[in-house]
Order: sequence, then structure tokens, then C-alpha cells
Amino acid sequence: MKNIILTALLFSSTFVSAQQYLTREARLDFDAGSPLEDIEAFTESGSAVYDANTGKIGVQVLMTSFQFKRALMQEHFNENYVESEKYPKASFKGTYNEGSVAGGLTIHGITKEITVPARLDQEEGNYVLVTSFDITLADYEVKIPSAVANKISKTASIQVQATLKNTSR
Amino acid sequence: MRRLRYIFILTLSALIATAQEDIFDLLDEETESTQYTYAAFKGTKLLNGQTNETPGKGVLQYIISHRFGSFTDEYLYNFFGLDNAHIRMQLDYGFTDRLNVGIGRSSVLKTSDAFVKYRALRQKSGANAFPFSITLYSAFNYRGARYTDGIDHYMSDRLSYHNQAVFARKFNENLSLILAPSIVHWNLVPGPEDPNDTYHLFIGGRYKLNNRIALTSEYAFSSNHSYGSGATEERFHNPLSVGVDIETGGHVFQFHLSNTRAMSDPLWMAQNPYSAANGSLFLGFNISRVFTVKQ
Repeated sequence: MKNIILTALLFSSTFVSAQQYLTREARLDFDAGSPLEDIEAFTESGSAVYDANTGKIGVQVLMTSFQFKRALMQEHFNENYVESEKYPKASFKGTYNEGSVAGGLTIHGITKEITVPARLDQEEGNYVLVTSFDITLADYEVKIPSAVANKISKTASIQVQATLKNTSR
Repeated sequence: MRRLRYIFILTLSALIATAQEDIFDLLDEETESTQYTYAAFKGTKLLNGQTNETPGKGVLQYIISHRFGSFTDEYLYNFFGLDNAHIRMQLDYGFTDRLNVGIGRSSVLKTSDAFVKYRALRQKSGANAFPFSITLYSAFNYRGARYTDGIDHYMSDRLSYHNQAVFARKFNENLSLILAPSIVHWNLVPGPEDPNDTYHLFIGGRYKLNNRIALTSEYAFSSNHSYGSGATEERFHNPLSVGVDIETGGHVFQFHLSNTRAMSDPLWMAQNPYSAANGSLFLGFNISRVFTVKQ
């Protein structure tokens, strides 16, 4: 009897880990531009995890990995706006539930609860996460000096695209 | 035996529980990537001296500098020296993220100069960490001002050279320091006792007060100062400057007070005739503007 319990437990432990999906190559885009200035950046080195058993989903990105078209803009982004030295990462930790994700989004050291629409489709044994949403920069205490206030959008649109692979493979 | 099994099962289930709970830990288990340290300094120049920074690829930079008249020279009559301004203009371009080439023209001795700057090594953290940056800088300077000694000078007499290795380290978000040994060569020196080659050690730093404002300072030691024939006082003095950097988007404003007035290499460093001890201090500024020419 005990052997059966043990075997079942061992089996369930492998079963649990088999339901974890992960990528280190999530693509994130963001756009905080205005008619006066294009402010766009992307990264292809975000991390994303998903646990199919619990529905828990997480995305994390290094702020310095965002690539801008202009070197100076990238420097200002890190140096003056998101303060990457103090707050090197942005992350989302929450749960996926039928077409939306809900959880805490942390940017610039500030965590806000958000619920945004998201798609999480199973494709060839992988999970493909696609979501797009807007955030208000002031919510995360990203300060915009008045001199450039009309060049930078008050909101930033963020897109996430990730193909999460089973961790046991 | 029975108890042992229970413990075993309990431990196992606890392990499974933690495995489930900490799925977000997977996010942090990233293989460490190499990250270049950025923005050790706001500008490509500290005050007169060079920082390790270069403009990015495809970036055209224009720097306009002014040095005003001395505080010792009727400074109220001359409106704090502002009536006696010297000027230097610089235009430079980032061919790559590492290579920067530029030209300049200054009203001090009507000099024209050109330089090449190359970021040989960059400070980085994470995997393959490296503790400091090395930027190589080479400039030459052409004196345009007429000689008043009545001698028919060669064109080569007018040339001088400055070669420097800029070691820079960003210690933290606020503090960055520079140590830069320099070799200066003069084709023509003012007196027979003056050496053609002089060696200098440039030191400088910045301390950020907030995201946009930083305090800066620089000084350069000289290996071999000349005294001139029969003179008891040194002919040239080591340059000392203190300033403040203000960054606003595409501009960097650098305001400073220093005992040097020349702005071209290597004049300000190696042949500075002014001594702060005698009250020779000058207000000045550099303003840089960058244009992204090619994205």
C-alpha cells in the first residue's frame, strides 16, 4: 500500500514539473511615443513561465535589455526614466484565466494589480502567450519633466509575445 | 521504519509543494548575461578633458564652448569676463558605437584640431565582467595664429599632438572616475629648455546629484614643467576645473570655473599659462547637441 502511495507521489511530482512551461526569449515591445517623437523599444530576452496546473503565469524582463533606435534615447530611458540601476527588472506575476491575466505588474519598483486580456494557446506542445495593454506611466512614478511632456505619451503600450516550452523537455 | 516512511513521504510532498509554489523563481534563474555599463558620464568631454564616452553609431554631435575673461582683469568692467570670450566649436560623428572622429576650431591661437576616439574596452557586469573602460584618444592641433618672432616658420612647427588612454570606472549610479595618462608632443617649444615631449596624468570625476544634474571636476598633473631661461616661476600651470553638468534631453550643458582658457588639446593641458593662485580664474561652458543622422 505504502509503495503505491510512494509511487503515486513520485509520479505526481514528475507530472507537476511536466506542466511547467518556460522561455528566455520572450519578445516585449513598448511604445510611449507621441506625434512629436517616436519612442519605441523592444527586447527578445524576456523570461516567461506558466504552470498549466495552477494557471500561474509570470513574465520578467531586464530594463537594460530594451533596444531603442537611438543610443541616447536608450541611455535616457535607463538613466532618467525607469532608473534601471535602482530597479533593474520589470515583472508580472499572476494567473491566467480564460482569456485574461490578473496579477501584480512591477515597473520602476512599483507594483500595481492589473487585469488585462491575454491569449494563451497551446501549439505543438508549447504555450504561446500574446498580450497587449496600456499602462499609465504616472502609476509607476516614472517622472516626465515638463520640458518634454508633450513629446512623451502619458501612457505606454506594451506587447508581449512568448512561446513557452515544456521544462521537462 | 513506519515513522521513517512517513517522514520520507512528508518531505517529498513538501518538496513538491515548494516546486509548485515557486514557479516564479524560474524567472530569476536566468543564466547571467553580460551587461555593458552605460552613461558613466553625461558627455563625451568632462570639462576640457575626455571621458570614456562616445556618441552612439550614426550620431552627429556639435559642441560649442566658451571661456570668458579672467577674474583678475577688470572683471566688473568686462562683465565678469563675458566681454572677452574665447570660443571653440567641435563637430564629431560616431561611425560605430565605439569609433568617434571629430574636428574643432578655437579662437585661442586660432587653432584647428582633429581627433579620433575609440572605445577599446567597456566596463561590464554579469558574465565576463570587466571593472573599467578604456578609451583611446588621439588628437592633433594646428596653430593658425601668426608668429610674432619674425622667423619664417615651417608648417610643421605649428603642429602638436596629444595621445591619451582614458581609464574610466562607474563605481555606482552617482560616482564615476577617470584616470588618463597622456603623452604630448610639440614640434616647436617656446624655449630651448622646454621639452618636446611632456607627460601628463589627467584625473577627473563626476558625482550625480540627481538624474539630470552632476558635479564634475578635473585636474592634470604634468611630469616636466619648464621654467624658461632665468625664470623662477613655472611657465605653465596644471589645469584645474570644477563644474556642473545639466542634461536636458538632447543637450548637455556644462558650466565651469577653471584656470585654463584654451580649449583645444593639448594646449589647455600642457601649456596653460594661468595660475589659480594668482587669481586667474575663468568662467566657461560647453553645450553639446546631438543629432541622430542615421538610425
